[in-house]
Amino acid sequence: MIESLTILAGALPYLLKGSVVTIGVVFGAMSLGLLFGIALAVGQVYGAIWLKRLIGLYVWFFRGVPLLVLLFLFYFGLFSLLNINLTAFTVAVIVLGLISAAYQSQIFRGAIVSLPDGQLKAARALGMSDATAIVLIILPQALRLAIPAWSNEYSIVLKDSAVAYALGVTEIMARAHFVASRTYQHLPLYFTAGVIFLILTYAGTKALRLLEERVHIPGYSQ
Amino acid sequence: MSTEMIPVLSAERITKRYGKKTVVRTASISVNKGDLKVIIGPSGAGKSTLLQCINYLVTPDEGRILLEGREIDPSRKKDLYRLRQDVGMIFQDFNLFDHLTAHDNVRIALRRVKGIDKTDASERAVRELERVGLLDHMHKYPAQLSGGQKQRVSIARALAMDPKIMLLDEPTSALDPELITEVLAVIGDLRANGMTMIMSTHQISFASEMADEFIFMEAGIIVETGSPAKILSQAECERTREFCAKINEIYGTSY
Repeated sequence: MIESLTILAGALPYLLKGSVVTIGVVFGAMSLGLLFGIALAVGQVYGAIWLKRLIGLYVWFFRGVPLLVLLFLFYFGLFSLLNINLTAFTVAVIVLGLISAAYQSQIFRGAIVSLPDGQLKAARALGMSDATAIVLIILPQALRLAIPAWSNEYSIVLKDSAVAYALGVTEIMARAHFVASRTYQHLPLYFTAGVIFLILTYAGTKALRLLEERVHIPGYSQ
Repeated sequence: MSTEMIPVLSAERITKRYGKKTVVRTASISVNKGDLKVIIGPSGAGKSTLLQCINYLVTPDEGRILLEGREIDPSRKKDLYRLRQDVGMIFQDFNLFDHLTAHDNVRIALRRVKGIDKTDASERAVRELERVGLLDHMHKYPAQLSGGQKQRVSIARALAMDPKIMLLDEPTSALDPELITEVLAVIGDLRANGMTMIMSTHQISFASEMADEFIFMEAGIIVETGSPAKILSQAECERTREFCAKINEIYGTSY
């Protein structure tokens, strides 16, 4: 017991450094997913029919293929075929980001179509272009509505990021495994890794909850 | 021909179909400066569609729109945005931007469409809100306002753009009876100040006191036009008479 705790205490800073890597992967993937997801959602709601189909295809692909397959496909397959030299960390961010974009696009699409038609109509009636109306009127409302679902997506991406271990990204799970396989202290190490993930989930969803309250429109309920 | 003679707005032979159903059929309206024309008719008559064809919120299948004698080419975005700036629109269900305060609702198009700088846009918005009696409520969000207040904000929002004409699509139909008066009072003010308007409404008695002309519409067709007195008491068409009798029964009238 004492031995376990000593090992754990020694390994903890090492694991916590891994959580910095995890946060980096998740932050990068969520940001990429946010920007790309918004673009996909707008395209899917307002775009031409061919664009809607193309986006539908994208969403179908990235939601349908397992994460591990996509990671290997991009890291060992696509990028090496194209002779693009990216670190495992970058590839993890890109792949998780592309997958999250597919999921996030559906969150935002749902939020956009749930807004009353009159919002866009009123914006057009004032002489706004559709692009201006989407940026100034539609997205500010849709993004607010999307926060609870987005928070859910955050916790999923956070947990999925552990799979980046398979590419050799030195995130929490990779470090826990590394120490565990040397010290044979599997239980305390993986338990600690789990606790770190729980804390990160809690912190993130709490922060998003605060954001939701902060941007809440007074008197508004939907 | 002097400019006085050119109508502020003409809609010529507007037709709109949804699939096989023709909702507006070769309807024409022409409005001179300072006129108030009121479209009456049963629900589903195409009043709202016709009004929305005028600023191309709904694209008509046939017909053309002329603003001050100049034909609008809706395929040219600039033309279209210009037209919409010049034509103020009031909707039945207000359509205020839900995430913006009353002040920002009025200000946003001044800033982002007309490109007016922040201070001037803010001052203008304050003036328009004052005009509709909502200065005290300028920092409230739509969800914190009553229906009547929301509609007055939407009128202020349209007025701030300095429209050449206003289209009012059943502006009081979504309001509780006790809130209708405050909106009608604002519309009465506009009328008194010479604003050119086309309004669809079921408020027949109010409209008959103010309108230059009544336009009776049914099944997408403009059936009859004439002075309010004529349409209400001695309409030529049987259907117009029937409708007016019914509407008097429901809403009451001084006629």
